[in-house]
Amino acid sequence: MNIHFKLTAALLDEISTDLRRPHPFAAERAAFIGCKASACRGGILVLAHTYIPLRDDCYADDPRFGCAFNADAMRAAMQFALTNDASMFHVHLHEHSGPPWFSRPDLRESRRFIPDFWNVKPGLPHGTLVLSADAAAGLCWYARREKPIRIAQITVVGFPMQYLGRSR
Amino acid sequence: MTDRFSRQSFLGEESEALFRATRAGIAGLGGGGSHIAQQLAHVGVGGFVLFDPDFSDFPNLNRTVGATFADAASKLPKVLVAERMIRGINPYSVVWPIQAEWQTDFPALRACDVVFGCIDGFGGRAQLEESCRRAMIPLIDIGMDVHEGEPYSISGQVVVSMPGRPCFKCVGFIREKDLDDEGRRYGEAGGNPQVIWPNGVLASTAVALFVQLIVPWCRIHPGSAFIGYDGDAFTLEHDGRLAVAEKQECGHFGAIGDLGDPLWEPETRTRE
Repeated sequence: MNIHFKLTAALLDEISTDLRRPHPFAAERAAFIGCKASACRGGILVLAHTYIPLRDDCYADDPRFGCAFNADAMRAAMQFALTNDASMFHVHLHEHSGPPWFSRPDLRESRRFIPDFWNVKPGLPHGTLVLSADAAAGLCWYARREKPIRIAQITVVGFPMQYLGRSR
Repeated sequence: MTDRFSRQSFLGEESEALFRATRAGIAGLGGGGSHIAQQLAHVGVGGFVLFDPDFSDFPNLNRTVGATFADAASKLPKVLVAERMIRGINPYSVVWPIQAEWQTDFPALRACDVVFGCIDGFGGRAQLEESCRRAMIPLIDIGMDVHEGEPYSISGQVVVSMPGRPCFKCVGFIREKDLDDEGRRYGEAGGNPQVIWPNGVLASTAVALFVQLIVPWCRIHPGSAFIGYDGDAFTLEHDGRLAVAEKQECGHFGAIGDLGDPLWEPETRTRE
């Protein structure tokens, strides 16, 4: 199954700008994106809509991670999913060019908290994205499978169109 | 870049790969859509989703690019005419010919990166725009009319509906009054006059806007467009209503509920 993630250029700009803001103690910022989804031939479309930044006081001061967040952040994201019938995608940024990928702590933590969104929105695809200066990658948990599916395509809809990750 | 596309190398080193990676939908393979299909194949687009329920026939041989006398005689579906033409130009393209109205296969429509609307009527256009907005797909619409009178007059338009930007209603291309009037006329018989040369102008303009969207060669316009065609004066002109609409947020699409398929039932199998 192919997962195709889409967002507008304006939303990508909002996300990138906010994630680059320094935090008082966290080495990097993270956020959530509220999305809608639908079936398309060969897979699923995930359509990003609302950027949900983490408040400064939602970060946990944990030196083992570049960014760790507390239960308040998770509660706010879960509430958004419930209220808006939304798929939720965690997002963070690696400051380099070229295709990014998740660190081992990123993967370990994502496996732990992303499936929690099924507690409020069972069945919907939820996942995590990592952006770089000019590319992106993502993982998606769907249909209560233990293992995530790598997002096959990430398209930025705008002028011009940008295919940040594509395996068609 | 391969030798095949060397004459369009000014579009950039990656243009060949970007066109190949793009899947274009075309709703309507008549006078406008057939032109667009042919040009996209020449440009090097790699994926096509073709929607049209209609068959080739003698009355549309005056404007359907790629259709032959034998196709009209055998009533070959228009999507198969277009598929043959595309594969003749670019045998490596992946073509999904769907001999039906586009509304019968939403999953195929949603798999497109860009959609070309080449259909008649305001109601159909409004529906297609809503479906494209729900899947975050840029829609490039073309249309022309021959207006009866003394003398006859030809006009048309190309309109780009870009997600997050002004829609057909914002720019005044589709008005509630037009939809109401069309609803009242529903069922009236008769085919409008259609000719090949205005369709060619509008299709070429639509393909140029598409190329600008994928591999812009200049930065003159920002993605949206509303271009009017005066077929009597042989001119294309930007419609000033777009500039006004660009200053305001689209009030018709934009809420989270305007995205996705509200009727979708995701798979909910149990954990492995």
